Amino acid sequence: MRRILSSITDGKGFDLILVGVTMLFLFALAGIPLVYNVVMSFQQVDMFNLNTFSRPFAGLENYIAIVSQPEFWLVIRNTAIFVFGSIAGQFIFGFALAIFFMMSFPFASTIRGLFLVSWVMPGLVVGALWGWILAGDFGVLNAILRGLGVIDGTMFWKSDPNLSIWAVTIANIWLGLAFNMMLLSVGLAGIPRDLYEAAELDGANGWQRFTTITLPMMRSTIGAVLALGLIYTLQQFDLFPAITEGGPANSSNVAQYWAWQWSFQLFDFAKGATVSVMMLIFVLVASIVYVRSTRHEVRG
Amino acid sequence: MQIAKLGLLAGLSLGALVAATPAQAQEGVTVTVWSIDGANQVGPSDTFSAEFDEMDNGINVEYRILQFDEIVNETLRAYATGNAPDIVSLDNPDFALFSSRGAFLDITEMAAESDVINPEVYFEGPLNSVSWDGKLYGVGKYTDTIGVFYNKDMFAEAGIENPPQTWAEFEEYARMLAKPDQGVYGATLSARGNEEGTFQFLPVIQMSGGGYENVNTEGARDWLSMVKGMIDDGVLSQDVLSLGQWDSTGTFNSGNAAMAISGPWEIDRMVEDADFDWGVTLLPTFGEGDERSSALGGFNLGIMSTTEHPEEAFKVLEYFVSQDDRLFPEFGYLPTRSDVELPMSGIEKKDAALAVFQEQLQYAQPRGPHPEWQKISKAIFDAEQAALTGQMTPDEALTQAQATIDTIID
Repeated sequence: MRRILSSITDGKGFDLILVGVTMLFLFALAGIPLVYNVVMSFQQVDMFNLNTFSRPFAGLENYIAIVSQPEFWLVIRNTAIFVFGSIAGQFIFGFALAIFFMMSFPFASTIRGLFLVSWVMPGLVVGALWGWILAGDFGVLNAILRGLGVIDGTMFWKSDPNLSIWAVTIANIWLGLAFNMMLLSVGLAGIPRDLYEAAELDGANGWQRFTTITLPMMRSTIGAVLALGLIYTLQQFDLFPAITEGGPANSSNVAQYWAWQWSFQLFDFAKGATVSVMMLIFVLVASIVYVRSTRHEVRG
Repeated sequence: MQIAKLGLLAGLSLGALVAATPAQAQEGVTVTVWSIDGANQVGPSDTFSAEFDEMDNGINVEYRILQFDEIVNETLRAYATGNAPDIVSLDNPDFALFSSRGAFLDITEMAAESDVINPEVYFEGPLNSVSWDGKLYGVGKYTDTIGVFYNKDMFAEAGIENPPQTWAEFEEYARMLAKPDQGVYGATLSARGNEEGTFQFLPVIQMSGGGYENVNTEGARDWLSMVKGMIDDGVLSQDVLSLGQWDSTGTFNSGNAAMAISGPWEIDRMVEDADFDWGVTLLPTFGEGDERSSALGGFNLGIMSTTEHPEEAFKVLEYFVSQDDRLFPEFGYLPTRSDVELPMSGIEKKDAALAVFQEQLQYAQPRGPHPEWQKISKAIFDAEQAALTGQMTPDEALTQAQATIDTIID
């Protein structure tokens, strides 16, 4: 009895409890909804059977209906542009800023801290701000571009089907930039300085130092940043209702916003679930990449 | 330990007793009412609910404010989990989602016996939107529609005497009035990718002989080509594709557009903001004397079929209807019935505008009613946007919309 008790307060039992509670928590808050979502995607769901489990089985009907929607491929294309555009932009600018702030100049760390403001702000607020910046006739961005002489007429960022997905992508790059910069700064700080000094003595120039020391040493950090970026970008929802509402004519609609439209604007909960299951598979692949890239950190 | 437990138990039971007492003593029935009134400004449902609640008639009214974007979702969820309110107020195209499945109470017989609610005095459009399968499921709360606001100063300056009566004149005048170098557009409207887009585009389909079940009409195609041409030439801002009606009309108020398609909810703000002479005319038609149409907006009231107190809820509904003559003077809303006189406000432009909108209401047609209206609506505004952005020709866009609508209607 006493051994069990002492094991619970300090020992294997304690470990098991910690793991158990976490697992229970994960199962209840992530596992059940996930399974429920998958089940729903194979059923016919309307307001009358929303509250029960016994719904008519629909087989693959929902999946076939989703894939045969005229806007399906447009949404896929937009999602790809949004995800890869955002990740590339956030990563490249984030990396550049991180390296910039590694240089020691007055207030470097303070200014770097201020960058986090964009990360802290709620997506809807950021969306509303960028909505104003990107407005067509009275937008700030157009005024600046016109002032600089870059454009003549008016760029309708929110209403031009060729620009709309990029408008949201630009806002998302701004939103995620600081997070990327912070993670990469941490990675950079972990590289021993004497490596650089040794390389410098051997006559390596800046570019060589970057490709042969910085990049290899940052491998796991970069993998994690990219994988997290993918996950966060696929979760990014707030910017869409605030800036373009997926329009015009779905030209800036992405999978996550589309899923929401099916469920909460068209009230076809099954098709909303179907789109999210499709996304789930994609995120799953990304998560595997993330876990693999951070695995050796855990094993030491 | 034991004593503490006992004390806790005693406290709990005492609390339960105290909590239970008023409910037993009162014996009143509580009717819950959900509406968006009161979310932004004081409206009829919140005011009338509070008044009815204060009356000493054994019926209490519990009122809950919901946001416009969430009232349908919230009602759906509440209905699915058995916690639906007794009375709910919904935007008219959303009403059929509930009435078609019997989620609203059939009040045909109650209305027939009522001294207050008389279905015959209601305008046809609002009445259709609360009817399903020949039965009455609610009453119109208030209504609105759209027409063309025009800047009389700009018209006079350009030497145009009368506001446009046909779409051809609408385009001609807009092209005459546009001054791109001064940032003035010829007209503005809302072709936004949501219900507002359908709200303004469906009347065009209807007046050209179509309807929501038959969208690919010659008139609709011509109209889309016309608007696309105006956008391409800078006569309309491309932002009509993303602006809602309220923001779009804002550009008219600030003198950046010579005409605006919108509704009576703009009047009060326009009286305040617009420092020019303006007027309203009916939505143009295709040819002179051709069929007219306009959008039918506004909210309805219905009793949920899950209510435990249908008679009391109906009494609350009767009280709301009995106050219809206060809708316009107190809240600026137009009643859905023909037997309510609207008093003059004494503001010349407002009264003139109101007269036009009342005439326009006779031509207003409801969206639907159809239980899957939201999907039909998306097909319609998607087609409008695809055509206006040039992603498809008007014919391709409307053909695709028709194909989508056919799968929904069958």
